[in-house]
Amino acid sequence: MITMIKVADVVVLLVMPFVLTGVINRVKALWSGRKGPPILQSAFDVVRLLRKSSVYSTTTTPLFRMAPWVLLVTSLASAVVAPLLGSEPLASFAFDFVWFAYVWGLGRVFIMLAALDTGSSFEGMGAAREATFSTLLEPSWFLVAGALSLITHTPTLHEALALRVDSAAAAFVWTAAVAALLIVLQVETARMPIDDPTTHLELTMVHEVMVLDHSGPDLAAIQVGSALKLLVGSSLIATLLNPWAGESSLRAASSNLALVVVVAVVVGTFESLMARFKLKVVPLYIFVALGAGALALLATTGQMGSGR
Amino acid sequence: MSTLLLSIPVLLVGAALSIALRSNRGSALVALLSQAIATVLVLVAVVPLLRGGRALSASWAWSAPVDSITFRVDGLSAFFLAWSLPMTLLGTGYAAGYLRSYFDAGRRGGSHFALLNLVSLSFVLIYTVQNALVFLLGWEIAAVAAWLLVIWDYPNQKIRFAGFNYLVSTHVGLFVLVAAFMLLHSRTDSMDFGAFGAFLGKAGSTRATVFLLLGLSFALKSAFFPFHTWLPRAHAAAPAHVSALMSGVIHKAGLFGLLRFLLLMGRPDEWMGWTILCFGALSAFFGVMYTSTQRDLKRLLGYSSTENVGIVAMGFGVGCLGWTWNLPVLSACGFSAGLLHLFNHALFKCLLFYAAGSVYRATHSVDVERLGGLAKRLPATAFFFLVGGLAISALPPLNGFVSELLLYAGLLSGNAPSSQENVVLVTAAALLAFVGGVSALAMTRAFGLTFLGNAREPHRPVGPEAPVSMMVPMVLHVVGVVVVGLAPQVGLGLSRAALQLFPVAAGSVDDVLLPLGPVFLASRVLALGLLMTGLLAWWRGRHARRSVTWGCGYTAATPRMQYTGSSFSAPFALLFASVLPALRRESLPSELLPRAPGHLATHHPDAVEKRMFEVLGQGEDFVVQASERIPEQPRVAFAAGLVALVIIGALLLGAGR
Repeated sequence: MITMIKVADVVVLLVMPFVLTGVINRVKALWSGRKGPPILQSAFDVVRLLRKSSVYSTTTTPLFRMAPWVLLVTSLASAVVAPLLGSEPLASFAFDFVWFAYVWGLGRVFIMLAALDTGSSFEGMGAAREATFSTLLEPSWFLVAGALSLITHTPTLHEALALRVDSAAAAFVWTAAVAALLIVLQVETARMPIDDPTTHLELTMVHEVMVLDHSGPDLAAIQVGSALKLLVGSSLIATLLNPWAGESSLRAASSNLALVVVVAVVVGTFESLMARFKLKVVPLYIFVALGAGALALLATTGQMGSGR
Repeated sequence: MSTLLLSIPVLLVGAALSIALRSNRGSALVALLSQAIATVLVLVAVVPLLRGGRALSASWAWSAPVDSITFRVDGLSAFFLAWSLPMTLLGTGYAAGYLRSYFDAGRRGGSHFALLNLVSLSFVLIYTVQNALVFLLGWEIAAVAAWLLVIWDYPNQKIRFAGFNYLVSTHVGLFVLVAAFMLLHSRTDSMDFGAFGAFLGKAGSTRATVFLLLGLSFALKSAFFPFHTWLPRAHAAAPAHVSALMSGVIHKAGLFGLLRFLLLMGRPDEWMGWTILCFGALSAFFGVMYTSTQRDLKRLLGYSSTENVGIVAMGFGVGCLGWTWNLPVLSACGFSAGLLHLFNHALFKCLLFYAAGSVYRATHSVDVERLGGLAKRLPATAFFFLVGGLAISALPPLNGFVSELLLYAGLLSGNAPSSQENVVLVTAAALLAFVGGVSALAMTRAFGLTFLGNAREPHRPVGPEAPVSMMVPMVLHVVGVVVVGLAPQVGLGLSRAALQLFPVAAGSVDDVLLPLGPVFLASRVLALGLLMTGLLAWWRGRHARRSVTWGCGYTAATPRMQYTGSSFSAPFALLFASVLPALRRESLPSELLPRAPGHLATHHPDAVEKRMFEVLGQGEDFVVQASERIPEQPRVAFAAGLVALVIIGALLLGAGR
C-alpha cells in the first residue's frame, strides 16, 4: 500500500499543480458569471512557454537565468516532504518542517535577487515587499509547526499535521493552525487579499511584478514552481482537515485530494469576493497568522502531560 | 605541549623582524612565514586532541604574584586554536594584497604585520593559560593590538574616534573582568583557574555575582546587545581584513571565556541558562534589525556579528538548560549548535568582509546607495559575497543552515520539563526564524544593490578584480562554507572534543546527529539539483537573445531610477518603526513652480545607542539638578546618601558571603 501511495504521490505532484490553478480560475469565473478556461489551461500555457525561447535583459547576470530553476527545484524539495495524500510523503525525516521553511526561503531569495538583477524599479519594489512579508511569515510558520509538533510529540511534518482532535487543547490548536496556514498559503502563493495574480498595474503587485522580465521556459519554471507551492500549501491544510490523516489508505488519500480541491475552491472564493488589501494592511493580515500561531502554541500548555 | 608553546617565541620573533625589516614585502613575508610555522606547531599539538587524545598540560613556577603558570590544552582550547590561527594567517595574506595601495604610496606596514602576529599570540595565551593574570595579559594584548589595527588609517579623525570608542568599550569590559577575578582571588587566594573552579562549583551568591560579572565582560567583548555600539563603528573604520578578524575570530574570545567558566562552574543554575538564552535572543533580534537599514556594507556586517553571537549564545543557553534539567541530548544539541555556529560565523563573516574589502579596493566605496552592477565587473567577488550572504541567512545547503538546524532541533525538541518551558523554547525558535528572514532581507538588499542592476554612479571608476593574495583567503573560506554545509561531520568533528567536556553522555552526540542525518542528505541532494539546473540554465542562456529590461512602457529609465537601499528597506522599517526610527531631513519643493531644487535625506540611526546617550545625558542633568538642591535640603541629601550606602554595603556583603 505504501509503495502505491508513493507512486500516487508522484502522479499527484505532476498533475495536481495545474489542476489546482485551473480550479481556482474556474471558481473565479463561475463567481463572475463566466464559463472560464479549461481546467488544464495552465498546463497548456506551460507547454506553450516551453516551446518559446527566452530573452534576457542586457543588465542581467547569469544569476537571473538560474533563479527560476532554483525556485522550481526548491518547490520540488518542499513537495517531497509535504503529505500530499495525507499520509507518509515521499521523504520524511525529523525536523522536515524546518527544512521546508528554509527551502522555500531559498527559492524566494533567488527570485528577489533576480528581480534586483534587472535594475527595474518596479521589480525592486516587488522584491522589497516580498522580503518584508516573508520576515513575518517565517515565524508564523514556526509557531504553528512548533505547536503541532509539541502537541503530537513528533518532529516530522506529516505526523504533526495528522493531529487527532481529542481534547479541548487539541481542538484549539487545530483551529488556530488551520487559520494561520490559510493565511500563510495566501501570502506565499500571492493570492487575493494580499496580491492580485491577474492585475497588470505594476505598482500594486508583489509577486507578479518580480517576474516581469522572465520569458519563455524560465517563465514556465516560475509558473510551475508557484503552482507547486500552491499544491504543497493546500495539502498541508487538507491533511489537517482530513479525518483519516496519517493512515496509508485509499480513503485517506482520496479525501485528502478532495480536501485539496476544497482548499482551492476556498482560495478562489476569497479571491472572487474580496478586494485586494491596501499594502499597509497586508502586514496586519500576516500578524493575524502570527497571532493565531501564538495562540496555538499557548494552547499546547493546556494539554495534560505534554511535558517530558 | 612544548610544540604549542614554541609558537609563542616564533610569533614574537616574527613580529620583531617584521618591524625591523625595511621593505613592506619583507615584513609581510616574515609575518606570513612565522604565522605559518606557528600554525603548523599549534595544529601538530591540537589535532591529536581533536581526534580524542588526552589533554596536554604544563606548569612553571614563577615569581609572585603569579606563583605558577599552568598551560592546559583541552578539547575546548583545541577547538578554538584549530581555526583561530589558520584564519589569522589567511587574514595576514589578505592584508598583504589589500594594503598594497598604501604601500605603494610609501606607507610602512611592518608594525601592522607585527600586530597581526601579536593577535595570533594572544590566541595561544587566552585559549591555553590557566592563570588569571596571564589570561588578562593575553586579553589585553588582543584588545590593544585590535585597536592599533583598527586605526591603520589614523590621519582620518573619524577613524581615530571609532578606534577610541572601541578602546574605551573594550577596557570597560576589562575592568569588569578584573573585578570578577579580584572577587575570585579574594575568596580562593589563588590566581589559578583550577582553584576558581573548585570555589565556583559550590552554590552561593558569590557564584551568581561572578557569573553576572563575567557574563557582562564577555558580552562586551563579543559585542552583545546592548553593548554593541562600538562595533559597527570599529568595523566600518578598520581595514577589511581587520574587521574580518575582529568579527570572525578575535571577539570569539568572549564566547570562549563564557564556555571556559561554565565548565569551571559545573552544573549551572536554571536561571543562568535562561539568562544566556534571553540575552542571546535579544542580541540576535536587535542585531538583525539594524542590518536591514544600513547603507555602509561593513557597518551592516558589523551589526550582523551582534546577531550571530546572539544565535551562538542561544545555543549555549539551550545547552545550559539541558545540563540543568539532566537532558544530555538537549545539552548536546545546544552546545554543538553554539560551537558549530561560532565556527561557521568565522567562516562566512570573514568571507563577507573580505568581499566587501575587495569592493572597497575596486571602487573606494562601500556605500550601497552609490554602487550597483558590480557583478559584471568583479564576478569572483560577487560570487563570494553571494555564497557568504546565503550562508549567513542560514539557507540550505550551506553551513549556516547546519548550525541553525541543530539549534532548532534543541528548541523544538519538546523535551523541557514543563509545557510552559516548551512554549518559551518554541517561541525562541520562531524568533530565530524571524531573524533568519530579516537576515535574508538584509543580505538580498546588500548583494542586490551592490552587485546587481546597473551602476548607480556610472562615472565612478571601477578598478580590477582583487589580486591573488586576496583571492586565496576568499576561495578557502568559500570552500569551508560549502564543505561544512555539505559534510557537517567535518565541522562537528572539529567541535566534538570540546563538546565532550560538557556533561553530554558519550552516545548523545550521535543521538543528536543520527535523526538529523536525513536532513543533511536532503541538503546534498538539493545542492546537486541546484548545481545541475544552474549549469543547465547558464549553458542554455549563453547565446539567448538580449534586450533591454522591460520598463513597463517607460523607455527612458536611467540607473538613478533603480530601487535604492532605503526604498528597499522602507516597508520593513516602517513596520518596525519603534526599533528602526527614520530621521528625515527634507526641504520639499513647495510652490507651484518651485524655484529652488528640493532635497530629501533619510537616515536610520542606532536607536538604542541614541537612547542610551539620551538617558545618560538626562542622568547628568538629573545629577546637576539634584546637586543644586543639596544645600537647600541637607536632610534629603543625607537620607539619600545613607540609603545609597546601605544598598552598596548590602550588595558588597551579599557578594562577600
